[in-house]
Amino acid sequence: MTLEGWVPQINEYLSLGEVVEFAFDYRGNTTVVKRDGTEVVGYVFNRNADAPEPFIQLFDEQGDGPFTIPYRDIATIRFTGKDTAAGNSWKAWVERKEKEKALRGAASGADRLGRDPGPHGG
Amino acid sequence: MSVPVSQMFTVASYVIRQKLAGRKRYPLVLMLEPLFRCNLACAGCGKIQYPAQILKKHLTVEQCLKAVDECGAPIVSIPGGEPLMYPDIDKLVVELVKRKKYVYLCTNAILLEEKLDLFTPSPYLTFSVHMDGLREDHDEAVCRDGVFDDAVQGIKAALRRGFRVTTNTTLFDGASPLRMRQFFDEMMTLGVEGMMLSPGYSYSKAPDQEHFLRQTRTNQLFSEMLSGNKKRWKFNQSPLFLRFLMGKKDFECTPWGNPTFNMFGWQRPCYLLQEGYAASFKELMETTRWENYGKKSGNEKCRDCMVHCGYEATAVDYTFSSLKGFAETVAVTLTGKL
Repeated sequence: MTLEGWVPQINEYLSLGEVVEFAFDYRGNTTVVKRDGTEVVGYVFNRNADAPEPFIQLFDEQGDGPFTIPYRDIATIRFTGKDTAAGNSWKAWVERKEKEKALRGAASGADRLGRDPGPHGG
Repeated sequence: MSVPVSQMFTVASYVIRQKLAGRKRYPLVLMLEPLFRCNLACAGCGKIQYPAQILKKHLTVEQCLKAVDECGAPIVSIPGGEPLMYPDIDKLVVELVKRKKYVYLCTNAILLEEKLDLFTPSPYLTFSVHMDGLREDHDEAVCRDGVFDDAVQGIKAALRRGFRVTTNTTLFDGASPLRMRQFFDEMMTLGVEGMMLSPGYSYSKAPDQEHFLRQTRTNQLFSEMLSGNKKRWKFNQSPLFLRFLMGKKDFECTPWGNPTFNMFGWQRPCYLLQEGYAASFKELMETTRWENYGKKSGNEKCRDCMVHCGYEATAVDYTFSSLKGFAETVAVTLTGKL
C-alpha cells in the first residue's frame, strides 16, 4: 500500500491536518501547493500541529533547507515522488535465495534449512 | 561481561551524578546519525528509505559536536546509515575522543579495513560491527552474499592494529538458538572484546515486515540461546538487559535513555519511532509526551518492543537505583551466569 501518486482534495471529509500527517509519514518527495499558487517539491520531515502557529518543515529537491511552511499557507500536498519504502528489492532477494536453496536441496537430496531455519525462517 | 573497568566507572559515576542531582530523566547513550546513506539495504532496516537528496546529505562535524555537548551522555553511538561513508568520520571521532566520550562506531565493516588508517586505537573508540549470525544467516539478513567474510576480514584487521572491536547482532523470528551459540563461539574465537545482542524492531518502513519477534518469542529465543551461557562468551552490555530478554526480569522502557540526533533534529520519542523532531535537546526532553510511550502506555508501537535502545538504559538505571539492583548486577557479572 503506497500513497505514491495521490492527489488529495482537502474537503469536509479530509482535513489539511490529516494530509500533513500522511505527508510526514511518507518516505518520498511531495509537492506542497501553497495558497498563493506556488509549489515547493521536497521531503517533509517534520510537522507540529500543536505549535501556536502549526507548521511543516521540509528539505527541497536539491537538499536545501530546512524550510518551514505554516499550515495556513498550504492548500494541499500532492504525493508526487517515489515512495522509497515501497520498494521490492528485498522480495526479489528472497525469491532469488529461495530458488538457490531449492536448487541446492535438489542437488544434495536434503534441505538443511528445513531442519534448522535461518534468520528469516529459511 | 566485557565492558572495561574504566568505561564502567565512567558510566557508573555519571549515573550516580544524575541521581544525586535528582534528575529523573537523563540520557545514557547519544545515538548520533551523521547520515542515512548506506552501502547495504538490509531486510529489517527502516533507517535508509529516503529520497536521493536526503541520502546525499550529512551533518557537519560542528553540528554533531553541538549535539554531543548539548546532550552530555558519556557514550556516543554512531549508527546511520553507514558511518564509514561519512566523509568526516575521522575528524568527528578525534573530537569525540578528545571529549573523553566512549564512541561506538556501528559499522557493517565492508569498508573497515580500507578506512582503518583514518583512526588511532584508543580506549574510547570501539568498532561495533554488525553481525547477525553465521555466514549464511548474516548474508541473508543483509541481503548480500560475501558481507560476512568482508566483516570478518575487517574485524581481524582492526584487532591486529589494536582497536577495540565488538559485534552487534539483531535477531529476528526464525533465528536458530543452536546456530547463534555457534556464532558466539566463532566471534569469541575471532577475538572480539564482546558481543551486543538485541531483538529487532518492527520498523513500519522496513522491507521485511514478517519476521519481527513478539515478546513471548523473544523470551523463548534468548532463553534458549543464553541459558547455560559459556564463560568464554563476553557481552558488551548490561547483564540485566540480557536477563530481561530471557524473561527473567521485567523492565519498562526508557525512551529518553538513547536520544537520537540526525539531520532532521532531535528525534521524538526514541531511536526507533519517528513521531517528529525537536530543535534542541532541551526541547526534546521537556516537550515530548513521554507518558505516551513504553508498554504501560498501551501504545501499540511499543507493545512488543524489547530493543536495547529502550531497555538497556532501564537496566543500567535499575543497577544504580537500589542496593538490590547493584547486588544483582555484581552477582551476574562475577559469576557470569545469566
